[in-house]
Amino acid sequence: MSKSDTGGSLRRFARRFWRHRRRLALGFLSIPLAQLGDVGITLLIRDALDTIEAGGGSDHLASTFWFVVGVALLYGLFRFSQRWFIVSVSRSFERELKQDLFDSLSLLPFSFHDRTRSGDVVSRATSDVENLRMFLGPGTMYCAGAFVILPVTLTLLFSVHPQMAATIVLPLILMGLTIRLTAPRLHKWSTAVQESLADISSRAQESFAGVRVVHGYAREEERSERFAEDSGDNRDNQIALSKWRGLQSAVIHLANDLCFAVILVLGGYGLLAGELSKGDLFLFIDLVIKVFWPIIALGWMAGIYPRAVASAKRVAEILDEESEIREPAEPVELGEPAGEIQLSGVGFVHDGAPKPTLSGIDLNVAPGSTVGVVGPTGCGKTTLLGLIGRLHDATEGVVSVDGVPIRDLKLSSLRGALSYVPQDSFLFSDTYRNNLLFGADEHLEDEELERLIETACMTEEVAEFPKGLDELIGERGVTLSGGQRQRTCIARALARDARVLILDDCLSAVDTETEGELLRGLRDAGDARTVLVSAHRLSTVAHADHVLVLTEDGRVADRGTHEELAARPGWYQETWERQQAEEALGEL
Amino acid sequence: MSDDWIDPDIVAHKGWDTSLLKRLLKFARPHAREFLKSIGVLTGVFACALLGPWIWKEAIDGPLAAAIDARAAGDTPNMTPFLQLIGFYLLVVLANMGFYYLQTAQLLRTGQLVIHDLRTVLFRHMHSLDLPFFDSTPTGSLVTRVTTDVENLNELFTSGLVVLLFDAVKIIITLGLLFTIDPLLATVVVALTPVMIAISIIFRGGARRAYRTVRARLAAKNGYFQEVLSGIRVVQIFRRERRVMERFDGYLDRYLRANLRTIFLFAVFFPVLAFVVNLIQASTIWVGGTRIVSGELTYGEFLQFWFYLAMFVSPIRDMGERYNVIQSAFASAERIFQVLDTEPEIKAPVTPRALPAHAGMEAVRFEGVSFSYIPGREVIEDVSFEIPPGKTVAIVGATGSGKSTLVSLLLRFHDPSEGVVTHDGADLREYDPRAWRGRTGLVLQEDYLFAGTVRENLVMGREDVTEESLARAIEMSSCGRIIDNLEGGLEGEVAERGATFSTGERQLLAIARALAADPALVILDEATASVDSATEAAIEEATRNLLKGRSALVVAHRLSTIRRADEILVLHHGQIRERGTHAELLGQGGLYAKLHALQFGEDTEGRNKG
Repeated sequence: MSKSDTGGSLRRFARRFWRHRRRLALGFLSIPLAQLGDVGITLLIRDALDTIEAGGGSDHLASTFWFVVGVALLYGLFRFSQRWFIVSVSRSFERELKQDLFDSLSLLPFSFHDRTRSGDVVSRATSDVENLRMFLGPGTMYCAGAFVILPVTLTLLFSVHPQMAATIVLPLILMGLTIRLTAPRLHKWSTAVQESLADISSRAQESFAGVRVVHGYAREEERSERFAEDSGDNRDNQIALSKWRGLQSAVIHLANDLCFAVILVLGGYGLLAGELSKGDLFLFIDLVIKVFWPIIALGWMAGIYPRAVASAKRVAEILDEESEIREPAEPVELGEPAGEIQLSGVGFVHDGAPKPTLSGIDLNVAPGSTVGVVGPTGCGKTTLLGLIGRLHDATEGVVSVDGVPIRDLKLSSLRGALSYVPQDSFLFSDTYRNNLLFGADEHLEDEELERLIETACMTEEVAEFPKGLDELIGERGVTLSGGQRQRTCIARALARDARVLILDDCLSAVDTETEGELLRGLRDAGDARTVLVSAHRLSTVAHADHVLVLTEDGRVADRGTHEELAARPGWYQETWERQQAEEALGEL
Repeated sequence: MSDDWIDPDIVAHKGWDTSLLKRLLKFARPHAREFLKSIGVLTGVFACALLGPWIWKEAIDGPLAAAIDARAAGDTPNMTPFLQLIGFYLLVVLANMGFYYLQTAQLLRTGQLVIHDLRTVLFRHMHSLDLPFFDSTPTGSLVTRVTTDVENLNELFTSGLVVLLFDAVKIIITLGLLFTIDPLLATVVVALTPVMIAISIIFRGGARRAYRTVRARLAAKNGYFQEVLSGIRVVQIFRRERRVMERFDGYLDRYLRANLRTIFLFAVFFPVLAFVVNLIQASTIWVGGTRIVSGELTYGEFLQFWFYLAMFVSPIRDMGERYNVIQSAFASAERIFQVLDTEPEIKAPVTPRALPAHAGMEAVRFEGVSFSYIPGREVIEDVSFEIPPGKTVAIVGATGSGKSTLVSLLLRFHDPSEGVVTHDGADLREYDPRAWRGRTGLVLQEDYLFAGTVRENLVMGREDVTEESLARAIEMSSCGRIIDNLEGGLEGEVAERGATFSTGERQLLAIARALAADPALVILDEATASVDSATEAAIEEATRNLLKGRSALVVAHRLSTIRRADEILVLHHGQIRERGTHAELLGQGGLYAKLHALQFGEDTEGRNKG
């Protein structure tokens, strides 16, 4: 990483952190007060010891007791407030940052999500944010504490016995340096430990998920050997890490002990020479104990600083990501959309892809008609359907709705006219009702929902849910089969009052009989809707008004009605016959 | 709300459990030496910690006091005894440094050695279990057993058990020493100790509950985050960005509130405990000071007492934390032993029958086989057929007719409830199931590619796969093109779950994998997913090569495969309705014939030749 961008992004997050300046001010004001209290207790006891040495009375001791108790109360109070204010601000900061990240992610165009791995995005929103929080919150808190107590302590010690104070500083510097120097090693090995843990977990994951192959090939031993290797790597990394940790711990304790050795020697001679009182000796001992942790914290901060800088950059990247799909300067509203869709000369190239996914597509979809899109795997069906809702923008040609190029339309107006069933039949882990209502612009009564469920051929299944429409979907509730998920997605799409319905190969896991029933239901329910449907199984598009056949490289291979296409030799006819034959076999 | 729904995987164990502990100690026993070393190191650390303050006291009350007296009397003070003590102190400092290094390195090492053993034993045991075990447990939970649960145990061995026991010893010894220094002062400390312990225990309970809520809400929040990312198309097309943001805001808010609770607990706990310690210190100076004045306590003893006091407080402060570690470790141990206590039903007999030298060249027979998962609901009913050497038996039938169950029975993923499956005249149960499975070439409907190179995926560590047999397998399965197109060829890396390859390519690679060991018996569950016509042709070709000259049981979907079979079984509701060759079945004029007449016109013939 270059030096030039050091801290730039980090400063930006520091400013965000500072938005909570009122609570932070309280927290940061508490720090010196708490530290002074801490030092104050030591001073009180020093004075008591000096009084004893001078032959002072028990009155002084009693008053020392009460003073110490009083200062300790204040010390406790300020310690509470420093921690409470600063750490809770760091959590508020985390919350706001995560909210902003989530908001930008929700608004970023699909092309962004398409090219980034979700694991990477998740790690930015979790561990990178956590790194920032730790640095800005607890990190600055410990540092501020160190910056107060170190000068105060050193001043005190120097004023009492300069030589001894100067000598003590040496082991402390040694320790700070060691922590700073060992930090990269520790980081390296703890990363190695994390990575080997991830290996263990993914090895286990695939062995369990692929257990049929593992058992079928009797490879249990081999898998176990591999797992043992991964586990062994992790063990070795852990042990290597523990050595560095051990070294760090040894140096910290060495420095600590050396300080005491210095105090014992120089303090002893000081006592002898009368340069030092017994109370002063106590002062040295107790203050050294008290500055110790702040110094360790400084070393630790120096260690996490580079990570915080790197994390700041990674988080900033998402916040600064600009949406490629922009609202036009003068957006056109659709008003009452008719649902006419037109593609002329449309092509699409994925970012950095050598070949276009789609090229030269012309298509006219009359309002209220049904158009099917079919073709071999990877021909760009999903991409084509995605162009209409501007999940991607066509890189060539024009897509229009009701005669208006969609780039000129207000995005919300365009998408308001669309309803969509995704290929992956995505549902939320939420109640069945909330899933159905997800896209609905107004609240639907139960009767209406039940009508939709019937259209989607889910009535029987929903009737079996223990809690009916309020049943949770997913791990914590009922698990739906692939076909049931697809049908639910269709019901959800129908709950949305939109002129255009886009079905992306969403019937693959539904058996043909149900499919027929469902398609009939869809035709009745969506009498005036424009429907665009892609499918692997040609029976899905058999009743479409028009079918577009794509080639493997995303061009138009053929077009016509099902009857026309099935009658002429080509990919469509071949596939239709094969699918019919295999279907019949299964029906046997 | 159900947001505080607790994942059973993160619930802590109720309390102490001796029988669990005994079982855990069994895993520790092989590393008894390491544990002894750990105890030795802990003893060393403790001894140094006790010696240091003692030297202080000796030096101040002894040589130093004498020297001060000597100087006061006008003599030259003799500093040799003082310097000797300093020398001794420096030795202790060095030893202490060594012990501290070892404390971290040795304890973690011991934990890791035990954990590695436990983890590999656990994994191996899990892989010896029957398929229903895997089918009934979500993969995520299984992974948790060998990751998080095992790591929790690590903490038990490193910072839990040994240290806890040692802490108890430390508290007792230090307290004893405090009493020997000054009984009255020690009594003051003892009087305030229960307060510290009580604070520690109250805090422990609160912290555990608060942490549990934080974890549950964190999981809910992260779960929603990932969910929205994976459903972003739907969210955007439906224009529900605002709504998911608001929803996420709710998750964040609950997560924040749970965090604030733990921050508050910690913010209170540390200062309160520190206050009690300050109180003890204040009492010490009051009582101790009085006793110094009255000559019952020396200054050196006072310092020694002060040092020991810190040593006495720290294990009490950590007590709550250690208890929480032990609790969550017990919960994990319980789940781990639950798995270790599960026994497979399908096991090798004590003296397994040796497989014939060329397994598969002998007939496989299903004799009156029935199978049910739930008694009374037969999935397979009285099925009998034979796979003669070198012949292909194809099963056709609707989804749920029991086709895949027949495959499972042949592989001994299940054993028949009635009847037998035999090979070379002997019940399959007489063979070692792994040896038997190892003899077959298996292609599953949803075949699975593992992380690693293509070569590793094809060879799968089998010794009977040679360079030649592998090359032949690649050629016969038309995988050459796929592998050539891959960066690195055979040594190219396969992405997670084989995502690098298309569905059709994965099917071809699965066939290559089955062919690699040149098996005499092939089990093929044909995939139904549609692929483009070029790939389809390649798969048909590869399938033909796979079945040629081998005994085979095929769950068939492809017309080309069915027509070439030596016998076709028409399975319906778990029973064989029709059987015979393609020609015979056509001649019988039954279901199959009707179907064929209806669907497979003469024109399909030409296509399937290609």
